Amino acid sequence: MRFLLNLLLMLSIALGVGFGLSYYALSNGRLFGAFQSGPWSGWTQSGTASPDPYTRAFVARNAALQLGKAEGLQLVASNDSDGRPLDRACRYRVDGRTPTATFWTLIPIDAHWNSIARPDGPPGFHSARVARSDDGSLQLYFSKTLSPLNWVEIAGDGAFSLVLTLYDTAFFSGVGTNETILPSIIRESCR
Amino acid sequence: MIRTFLYAIAGLLLGLAIHLVVVLTLPMLADRTVFAEISALDAVNTTRLLSKPAPGAANTLKLDPDLSYAVCRLNLANGPGELSGTLPAAYWSVAVYDQTGAVLYSTTNRDGIGQTLDLGIFDPAQTRLLAEQKIDIASGLLIVEAHSDDVFVVVRLAPPHPSMRDRYEAQLQRLSCGNIQT
Repeated sequence: MRFLLNLLLMLSIALGVGFGLSYYALSNGRLFGAFQSGPWSGWTQSGTASPDPYTRAFVARNAALQLGKAEGLQLVASNDSDGRPLDRACRYRVDGRTPTATFWTLIPIDAHWNSIARPDGPPGFHSARVARSDDGSLQLYFSKTLSPLNWVEIAGDGAFSLVLTLYDTAFFSGVGTNETILPSIIRESCR
Repeated sequence: MIRTFLYAIAGLLLGLAIHLVVVLTLPMLADRTVFAEISALDAVNTTRLLSKPAPGAANTLKLDPDLSYAVCRLNLANGPGELSGTLPAAYWSVAVYDQTGAVLYSTTNRDGIGQTLDLGIFDPAQTRLLAEQKIDIASGLLIVEAHSDDVFVVVRLAPPHPSMRDRYEAQLQRLSCGNIQT
């Protein structure tokens, strides 16, 4: 009996650790292979011809048409800068600067990777179509309620994520020192 | 007690082994892959536009709604692949993918290509023939070596404004894609 209980313990730990760790590592890359800065995370090796095993597994699991290394980099945030999950009932301000890139898009998405912006409006922000403050920094609002400056009206309920896609970027090329320049996501108020 | 502890340690080690097996075999076991999605488009030797992600339907390829995408699948067993055409004077980029969805090669029009795309894709045997000058190609062809025969190419085009999207997509559709006759 004792032996059986021990065996059961061993197997449950093995299965829990084995599959749990795999899920955890490949969901957001919180363990290996991915870059993380504040709320943003991205797989820097996903666009290379011979990615590391974790990135390779992520690419297979993600099943996305990912960007090549020369094309750009995609960063995803599902939490605000304080670590709370993004909620459509709240107003968020994306504040700060973005890494050097030819252009970027910032799209609010649901779990199916669809834009949750108001259907008859733009799907999100595009770097060529935003107003900046005098020092070049950005204040971008995502909310259901009217917001000042740059505003994308979102629809629906529940959690969402933000996808920042930097096209033709020098980020992670090892050139320059802009590695830490990513905007913060600030929760302002909730209804 | 010590025995239970040893069993727990053994479980942990076994768990790590399972984790490594999962990570290493996942690319082989995944069935809903990019390649399966692209194969369903029937884009062999033809340029097909990927439709803009519609509200409500799942955006399985995780496309950016601000960009236009064209895809073409090539089988290099029938000869080297070629994708050529003229694109609008906006940002565009091209990427060659293999069956696992890994990017073999990518570049953008900011790297001095200008508006003309002329990309040749060769498998290792064809690359050798190319080096021996046994395949005739036009000068100025951008040469990409692929390690497998079944590849697909994706061109991303960024219209500067949403109202230009239709016109830009029409030009994207005119890219010619096929095998070079040798």
